[in-house]
Amino acid sequence: MVVTSSDVILLAHSTFGVLGILSALWVFVETLNAREENAGRIRKAAFIAALCMVVTWILGGYWYVHFYPLDRALILKGPWPFAHTLFMETKEHLFFISLILSLYLPIAASDKLYANPNARKMVLCVAMLIALSGLAIEGSGAIINHGAKVALLYRITGAGR
Amino acid sequence: MKVENERLGRSGAGFAIAASITILSSTALAWAKDAYKPLNSFMNVLAWHNWITHGLVDVILFSGLGLIFSRNNWAERITPNRLITFLVAAVVVAGVGLFVWYAAF
Repeated sequence: MVVTSSDVILLAHSTFGVLGILSALWVFVETLNAREENAGRIRKAAFIAALCMVVTWILGGYWYVHFYPLDRALILKGPWPFAHTLFMETKEHLFFISLILSLYLPIAASDKLYANPNARKMVLCVAMLIALSGLAIEGSGAIINHGAKVALLYRITGAGR
Repeated sequence: MKVENERLGRSGAGFAIAASITILSSTALAWAKDAYKPLNSFMNVLAWHNWITHGLVDVILFSGLGLIFSRNNWAERITPNRLITFLVAAVVVAGVGLFVWYAAF
């Protein structure tokens, strides 16, 4: 078995992305039931969401700069070039939207959500936007991964399946 | 439950506008560097890779604008519904804008 640093970083970046999405959903559910007693927990979950997204940014960025060029070349020569030209290009920039929303989440959650319905509404919207954009990014990752896979299969078999 | 304050706090409102503006300008920057290659090359030089520069610009812009807007009370005076609508609209326009751009060009 050979597990390279590229494999570890690649899987870790998507894992932290999923943890960020789950933390945003945690914030969403807690905010639906916002009370004085769970205010601290909401702030903690919002901070965890932001932290996970920052770790994803650093790990994903490192992998993208150091290891992705090989995959890109492979994908572009394969039968699914749009996995890079459309999905990777969109994903790498869409991520900044999730990142900014995640950085804003702890700030929005610092209001007294149990006493202010509008602040609660803002946190619900931001948490949901993080979850939805995060899912779109994870889905794009799967398409990019499949783009690389079909490119390899195409190379090995010499034709499409 | 006692409603203490219907408006968002100063930081909540200020950084909401900062996030909306940053999200829209991030998509505009993605379009610009894709359409104008010298900008892409310049961003490659600034922080090793254009994507790293792009991310740093976004974070600096969000933090800077957020701090500026949080110190003024005009952001706080905007109704929360408008702030929420602006933020959601910014995310939808920026997200769809990215997808359509890369699908078309």
